[in-house]
Amino acid sequence: MIEPDLNILVPAYVREFEPYIPSRPDPELQKLYGCPRLYRLNNNENPLGPPPGAQEVIRNFPPPRGAVYPSGDSYYLRHEIASRFNMDPDQILVGNGANEVIAFMIKAFCEPGNNIITADKTFAVYEWVATFSGIEARIIPLRDERFDEQGMLRAIDANTKVIFVCNPNNPTGTYWSRDTLKYFLDAVAGRQIVVVDEAYFEFVEAEDYPDGMKLIDAYPNLVVFRTFSKMYGIAGLRIGYLAGNLEVVNMIRRTCVVYSVNCVAQEAALACLRDETDHIGRTRKMVRESREFLCTEMAALKLPVIAGEGNYLIVKLPGSDTLAYRKLMHEGVMIRPMTGFRYPNHIRVTLAGREAMEAFVAAMKKVLA
Amino acid sequence: MGHQINLQLAAEISFLPVAVQWAETAAKVFGLGREDALKICLATEEIFSYLSSRVCPGEVLDMRCVNGIFYVRVEFRFPVSVLNMGALNVAAAVACDSEESLSEMGLALATRTVDRLNISAERKNYICLSIEKDKEYPYVAATSSLPVSVRGNLAVTAPDAEGIKSYIARVARTPDERLPSFFRYPGKVADMVAGGEYQALTAVDTRGECAGGLIFHFRTPQVVEMFGPQVFVPEREDETAAMLFEVCLARTARTKAIGILNLTGVPNSLKTQFEFLGSLTNKVQGDRKVVHPCHYRLLHEDPGAVVFTDAALTDYLQREYSRIFLARELREVTDQGETRTGASIFATEFHREGSRAILRPLWPGVDFDANVQRHLRFLQEEGIDNIFFTIDLGISWQASLMTVLMNNDFHPALILPFAGQSDLLYFQYD
Repeated sequence: MIEPDLNILVPAYVREFEPYIPSRPDPELQKLYGCPRLYRLNNNENPLGPPPGAQEVIRNFPPPRGAVYPSGDSYYLRHEIASRFNMDPDQILVGNGANEVIAFMIKAFCEPGNNIITADKTFAVYEWVATFSGIEARIIPLRDERFDEQGMLRAIDANTKVIFVCNPNNPTGTYWSRDTLKYFLDAVAGRQIVVVDEAYFEFVEAEDYPDGMKLIDAYPNLVVFRTFSKMYGIAGLRIGYLAGNLEVVNMIRRTCVVYSVNCVAQEAALACLRDETDHIGRTRKMVRESREFLCTEMAALKLPVIAGEGNYLIVKLPGSDTLAYRKLMHEGVMIRPMTGFRYPNHIRVTLAGREAMEAFVAAMKKVLA
Repeated sequence: MGHQINLQLAAEISFLPVAVQWAETAAKVFGLGREDALKICLATEEIFSYLSSRVCPGEVLDMRCVNGIFYVRVEFRFPVSVLNMGALNVAAAVACDSEESLSEMGLALATRTVDRLNISAERKNYICLSIEKDKEYPYVAATSSLPVSVRGNLAVTAPDAEGIKSYIARVARTPDERLPSFFRYPGKVADMVAGGEYQALTAVDTRGECAGGLIFHFRTPQVVEMFGPQVFVPEREDETAAMLFEVCLARTARTKAIGILNLTGVPNSLKTQFEFLGSLTNKVQGDRKVVHPCHYRLLHEDPGAVVFTDAALTDYLQREYSRIFLARELREVTDQGETRTGASIFATEFHREGSRAILRPLWPGVDFDANVQRHLRFLQEEGIDNIFFTIDLGISWQASLMTVLMNNDFHPALILPFAGQSDLLYFQYD
């Protein structure tokens, strides 16, 4: 048997990339760490689950339809989204989670020699997809825990194709105001594509927070990401989308793999958008109360927090975050250690229901004792 | 490709002059001095002769000379299928129950003229035997240092060669026996960084005055080893150490590395950021002992792992894993009378300068006990003071060595997470 020479077959930027290893399934983790119950506070999931209409869709999905391909381009969902934002349906592209949509962007606009710009302490997937695609990722340090618009503008050169802004930022919860975003888009002046990732849009209650969808007409180089994984609680179905100028999206569509979004996800997402039970209001209330509760409890433990928008906050620890992760796992609480986000000795905690928050606080007290 | 020169030839003794001349020429081209080039030549001669006569006579041998900037390495690669396996043990010619002279030892002799010798199993069933000779550099003697004065804000930078030399010279003036010897050679460290295997960081003020620094490298793809931080301004030690370490973390957090290791001591202010794994003890200059505390921190969530153990060490491993909060599923390996054949192979990583050897099992066999004894006898006769043996806890057959090692005066010293296929268990010879 002759083995393939992977040193020749695989590009260096792929060989040298370290694949992300997701955590094991909950039952495996519970067995490993010896915890009968596990509170998942690591992925910013919505513990309320999907809105009732989406739950109905999932519950009533007819098994024979498992044999039938889904709409290849999420036809009905695109029309629903477009009608809500007064857009052409072809301005919308739906993907298998926002991660797939990020890959569409990089493939559409970048080739080796190009670069993308993003921040050091933000959602890592922009940097990962660029890196394993052979594209340089220019990483600009956050300034006062927020994206540094001046630093990002200075990093632009003739090879810069896409700039990724996570708004609000995961994990800091900071955001660019409407004025800051418009200032940045004006300064870029259409020379690069600016992606504003609004994965946590529905959680934000600040009045000066911009709705990127409303800026697309004025800024044709703006592309907005949204997801159904966070507020709408269907992370397990993997569905997200992007919106942008018709001609820009027409280019991105060329790199888009059709049929990658399954039937249940498309129909559940439709039901999420049509929700009339105030799912968003209920979730916001839970997040607000949990944020207040945790901020008070962490202050009592003399642990600084970075708490902004979004359904998460960051806690600064007196020691190693990765050790705290292991200790908290033994107590049945799973959080996200932040060294990988370049925030050593910080952990990110999902703002969930009261029971989970109390379990987290109790575990923290034990771990710090 | 300018940093390596390749040669392919048959492992036949008639080709010996070709191999030797090639090694000498390549070593000189890569900057090794005349005397050192001669030494690596002698080692090449011993190894080529040994491979041609004992290990893989007549088979194709791929040789490579690599310019590591601060060292020259000669590699010998051959397929495992052609091996006289046992002959690859550095102590192959040693009879454990006899006092006869240690002559005609091939690999053993080669170790005497180089700085490092190593054997590793590679993909596609290849074995790589490598020897390294460091270049000569002037060293900085211990001397009293003027206090460093820094003003205002500090910034962490990746220093240029002059910055590295200045930082290392400062460290060298107040020697710390826990540090590796390269900290006495500023020019060598500058070359180590230039060669790309090591990285340096320094904290400097606006005038460029250096308040401290640290060196790190990838010890394995998954383990970063960090030396320092060393801080020269005591009143700003906490701030300087924290800045340096944070940049080191930022540079490694999104790489293949799973953890950061420090065997040379960390400043008190950083100790809460590390976990104490245990200590390794090195004898220096006779019987004086230097303790190397081993600090470690993971860079990511612990993914958990299955580890294999002999029943004799189950309690020890459970205790240690519980102490350092690592989730491991322990599986006991027992001898069920299954047939074992052939000779085992241990790789021996020689570090002559530190009088240190690290043994590592490469291949199982029926002769574990005899092979351990042969290696011990050989290493002791070579005057090696510090002998370690590492077991990869992710490879089931290696667990069979645990009792053998303890019966031969090794004791388990510490677990190094993710340093092998799974965790490595370090045994120290008493």
